[in-house]
Amino acid sequence: MVPANQIHDLHPPIAPSGLYWVVPVPANALTVSADGKMFTLEMQNAPVVDQPRWPALDSVATLARMSVRMVWKSSGELVVYEDASKHFRFAGSHAVCQMEARVEVPSIGFTWESDALETSKCDFAILGEEVNGRYYDMKQL
Amino acid sequence: MKTRTGLDVFPLSRRTLLTTAATAGVGWAFPLATLAKTEERLMTANGGTDPFPIPWLDKNGSHNQPAGQNLEPSHIYHFKGRVARCSTFTGMGTDNQGNRIGFGSPTTDYGVMQGEYWAARAPQQGTFTHI
Repeated sequence: MVPANQIHDLHPPIAPSGLYWVVPVPANALTVSADGKMFTLEMQNAPVVDQPRWPALDSVATLARMSVRMVWKSSGELVVYEDASKHFRFAGSHAVCQMEARVEVPSIGFTWESDALETSKCDFAILGEEVNGRYYDMKQL
Repeated sequence: MKTRTGLDVFPLSRRTLLTTAATAGVGWAFPLATLAKTEERLMTANGGTDPFPIPWLDKNGSHNQPAGQNLEPSHIYHFKGRVARCSTFTGMGTDNQGNRIGFGSPTTDYGVMQGEYWAARAPQQGTFTHI
């Protein structure tokens, strides 16, 4: 559900394949702590679009950039999601996740920067490992 | 310097080749060396290396997947590796006019996937984020 006061909506374009708001990042954008309990994602100037009227089909997409630092910390509470009919298995733990971000929409001279990472919060987070599709069928996890 | 290949030396279309071969009565009598050079110019047709979306998520005309209990975390199909997801983010920030603007909503979700995925008929390595 889109908030009534939404003024920007930034995300990568949907790929021709249908892959939804997913963008490749360098391998070193993700760092994992030695014990596997903390993931840190840092990316600079990822190419995105701003679609303020999303999800309207005619919502104009303006080129934008997004820089993000996001940190997941495991809570230690283990979790497994598996659905054989959908060929996936996730094993990991619940987590706490916080983020800070900066966005730019150059054509309209708009920039926005979040407050410090510690001030953000989310209601749901997990981290772990997953297999799906052909890898699930190969029972490699 | 231009490297000449078998096809450059014998610039035959398929139709010309068939006509010429029939006339000569020699069938597909290319010298082996010429065939080897020709193969160097051929391209594979195994599809692109971009990852596939989860196939059944399009039941609503969309390959988007919210993050949540018992929902598949990955956005990429034929995947094995690390994954992290989060949703319902809220926070505050400031724009370049000094306006305080909040971010996030119940559908504000992010994710990261890093590992092996299958595309172009072969394993690929990659790191992707859903933002």
